[in-house]
Amino acid sequence: MTSASVPAAAAARRPAGRGYGFVAGLVAVAAIGSALPLLVGSALFLTLMTQAAINAILATGVGFLVRQNGSVSFGHAAFFGIAAYVVALTLKHAVMPAELAAIIAILLPTVLAFALGLVIVRIVGVAFSMLTLAVAQALYELLLKWRELANGDDGMAIAFPARVFGVDMATFQQPHSMFLICWLILMAVILGLWLLARSRFGTLTLAIRENEERARFIGYTTVVPRALIYAVSAAVAALGGLLFVLYNGFVSPGTLHWSLSGEALIMAIIGGPRLVWGPALGAVIFFFIKNAAGDFTDHWPAVIGTVLILVTVLMPRGVGGMLVRLAGRVGGRRSS
Amino acid sequence: MLINILNGLVYGGLLYILAVGLVLIFGLRRVVNFAHGSLFMVGGYVAFAVAAYGGFWLALVVSVAVLAVLGVVLDRLVFRPLQHEDPIATVLVTFGLLLVLEDVVKTIWGKDFLSMPTPTALAGTVTIAGEIFPVYRLMVILVAVLVAAGLTLWLRASRIGLYVRASSVDPVTTGMQGVDTDRVSAVVVAIGAGLAGLSGTIAAPLMALSPSMGSFILIDSFIVVVVGGLGSFSGAFLAALLIGQVHNFGVVYIPWASSMIPFLLMVGVLIWRPTGFAGGRA
Repeated sequence: MTSASVPAAAAARRPAGRGYGFVAGLVAVAAIGSALPLLVGSALFLTLMTQAAINAILATGVGFLVRQNGSVSFGHAAFFGIAAYVVALTLKHAVMPAELAAIIAILLPTVLAFALGLVIVRIVGVAFSMLTLAVAQALYELLLKWRELANGDDGMAIAFPARVFGVDMATFQQPHSMFLICWLILMAVILGLWLLARSRFGTLTLAIRENEERARFIGYTTVVPRALIYAVSAAVAALGGLLFVLYNGFVSPGTLHWSLSGEALIMAIIGGPRLVWGPALGAVIFFFIKNAAGDFTDHWPAVIGTVLILVTVLMPRGVGGMLVRLAGRVGGRRSS
Repeated sequence: MLINILNGLVYGGLLYILAVGLVLIFGLRRVVNFAHGSLFMVGGYVAFAVAAYGGFWLALVVSVAVLAVLGVVLDRLVFRPLQHEDPIATVLVTFGLLLVLEDVVKTIWGKDFLSMPTPTALAGTVTIAGEIFPVYRLMVILVAVLVAAGLTLWLRASRIGLYVRASSVDPVTTGMQGVDTDRVSAVVVAIGAGLAGLSGTIAAPLMALSPSMGSFILIDSFIVVVVGGLGSFSGAFLAALLIGQVHNFGVVYIPWASSMIPFLLMVGVLIWRPTGFAGGRA
């Protein structure tokens, strides 16, 4: 996967250039998305798109970790789920207002990820993937078995106040309005991560990804930047979890299960994690395949497993990477 | 107390047999087989199906054989074509395979729990230090010890064993010395997968069979492999013993947090020694 990094690094070194094009494209996609609820009346379609947008945020977090650290996480659902449970538990025991709970729901997984990151980012490659899986699954089992805390497999329904952040709760729980909120947040996340990737810090982490030893020799500490990237990607996953819980008003241990982590990773791989926006594209494709699978939903894991195998083998840069290459060929600007 | 330690050895033994297969494959191919837990699960189900007709011992043989063949297929269709790609590609493909295998098993046998009877020859119990302990569980410990001894002998005495040890220390130099990894690897992956089948079979009378039974033991065996030091056989043995005890201790005394203990232990070991017990080789 290291071979695809040269164009990304080159782009990071050129702050002007294609930058405006990217922002313009993002604004266009945001606008088209915002118009969707007006154009399409189907509640079913909007429900699908809302789920896609929430999962896209999670997948964007997973993909960003691949892009900046070269690390593949099999446990990002943990941060998604912790965020959801923080909201559920704090509101159940009425320890703080919902707004504060929402902020803690993002901060806590971020801090946890940073602390954990200091230990596990030193492990590279395949072992890192194994560790993230073990960590997430341990948390899943904890929430499943500690019934007094989190009601086990039955999950928890959340009693939100009528208004959160001054917005009517109904706004969060109807697909028409929630899709718009999630879509715009997704675009903001992509823009933020894109800016971060182009910053000095972003370039440094790419350098560490390419050759950690060399980065250390020229005087950079390498563990903290990698842990910070891990924390950022966890924060993005947690944001997804927060939106999930606002939308559904319900949380169960399934939000931490490795099948969700795996799905998010699959979305990222389908879309192409080398691009900041790739995983989001992957998420939309994922939900369209899921929808099209229709009658085969009983065998959904086999379908998506097969898709994962095919994309990994035939399209290692994902659909996004293929689009970029096609666009480059049409425009004739890019040699690679 | 003694009984708890013995039960810990039983789980540790199952984990060892599974984890050492991961270590074997990693040693030669530098990849981790995420479908290894599914092989364990498929092994259990194959044994369940055969045992209904031909009894436990036939089931044991058939299950190991079927899984070994599956291992050769896996090597030819997945590990070999992907050997020049990033190891993560293999991880992703075997993860996809895991999803497919679980679904296939669910389609054939359903998702309800199935249970396999203990073989009659081993159905009895023995009294150890005044407490009753099933003979079958003693057999599981014995099998794990035999596997460990057999593998050590094989790795020390055979030519392929030599190649595997050499390759797990330095694959590039081993290749330059003229060792044909491809030829060796079919055997090695077959053994690794066969061991997963063995583990799944002897685990089947101890635990309920379900399509998801592979997932949780896969995670514990990952912890074993990482704590032991990726690619280290002796490290995996020690770590499996330790995780077996810790797991069992947790289940008995603090069930609600039992899943957290191996994980905390792992974090502790990694802070102390980032490359696991075996150190330096990962």
